[in-house]
Amino acid sequence: MIQKKVCMVGFFATGKTCLVRRFVHSKFSEKYLSTVGVKIDRKEVAVDGQPVNLLLWDLEGRDGEQDLQLSYLRGASGVIYVVDGTRRETCTRLKELRHAVRAAVGDTPAVVALNKADLTDQWALTGADTDALAAFPWHVFTTSAKTGDGVEAAFLWLAENMVKAT
Amino acid sequence: MTTIRAFGLTHVGRVRESNEDQFFIGTLHKVLEVQQTSLESKEAFDYFTRTDAQLLVVADGVGGSAGGRRASRIAVHTLTTYLSQTAGCYTGFDVEQEDEFLLRLEKALTRAHEVVRSVGTETGGPATTLTLAVVIGPRAYLAHVGDSRAYHFRGDRLRQVTRDQTMGEFLADEGALTEEQARAGPLSNVLSSAIGGSEMLPAIGVLDLQPKDTLLLCTDGLTKHVDDEAIKAMVAAGGSAEQVCRALVDAALAGGGTDNVTVVVARAS
Repeated sequence: MIQKKVCMVGFFATGKTCLVRRFVHSKFSEKYLSTVGVKIDRKEVAVDGQPVNLLLWDLEGRDGEQDLQLSYLRGASGVIYVVDGTRRETCTRLKELRHAVRAAVGDTPAVVALNKADLTDQWALTGADTDALAAFPWHVFTTSAKTGDGVEAAFLWLAENMVKAT
Repeated sequence: MTTIRAFGLTHVGRVRESNEDQFFIGTLHKVLEVQQTSLESKEAFDYFTRTDAQLLVVADGVGGSAGGRRASRIAVHTLTTYLSQTAGCYTGFDVEQEDEFLLRLEKALTRAHEVVRSVGTETGGPATTLTLAVVIGPRAYLAHVGDSRAYHFRGDRLRQVTRDQTMGEFLADEGALTEEQARAGPLSNVLSSAIGGSEMLPAIGVLDLQPKDTLLLCTDGLTKHVDDEAIKAMVAAGGSAEQVCRALVDAALAGGGTDNVTVVVARAS
């Protein structure tokens, strides 16, 4: 069976773990527990009728004390950058993360998940922020781990494009 | 290359009559012993003779003293045997092999679960928690079932790597209990996932170690009596893995020792 490693990256508390939990277990929890190191889950999806096993590496979020550890990215076939739509800096500083990730794994299919779309009253991203994302070759999805909106679509788009890229 | 020095200690505690905990520290070697060769350099084979992996395990049996001890013993024995037979040739850093190795880790837990289940009764037999780390420097592969824990210490920061698989935590995840209620209530002692239990949901993780990092595996006999701040102080105080183990067990006993207490401490250098 085809197997693909997907890395979830982003700043701390953007909802990486929640997106994986929604996608793999169809569940959501309000409780926040930061990931230490990497948490690994699996999910089988179908791409053009073929089973593909996604190995989901949920990387510890980057914060003031912890840099993104590039060694975890080794062998990734695809990347999901997770932005917290209620914290603008997690979007405007995405270029920094992309630069580091590209240096580690090269050009792989990538998705940006503009997460927490359910928090419309706290949404902090401007039109200019999202327009700026269009300058890069990644596919942007608006997602909510809480409601599930956009989550399946983001992972499946990545799965299809990782298979195409091989 | 990051290497670790590990030490483990278990104690029956001050209340229980028997110790249902287990621990295991071992190394997995890939060995090619050169007896004679016409090749010019034997050094080419050094790659095959170095230590490949270190295996650290703690387990806490549940289900009555004899049953619990049996469950933890069978689980650790099955797991270590399975890994030594199937994962001993893994030397890391090849992506395809790493994926395969992670699968084997899960399979090892599933195998331990099946064997423990096979000795149970229809109404539910003994079960055990199990937390393990396979360290192939600098990478530590962690697998976890139940409420024994793994902690990681770096600099002055101690963090719990694993999440307790208890009914209390499960209900807190679902939003039915607050975090405080989950930790203090009676459901904090009921496992939602265990080797040999009705549910076995292994959590798998990876952590890259740096020199001076410490990895701690422990059963809840420690964490019932010693909070994270106190654990951090003892780990940060320095000393060998053995000294840290003894300090932690002493603290658990001084705090009441109501349960068996087991710790494995690994210092990276």
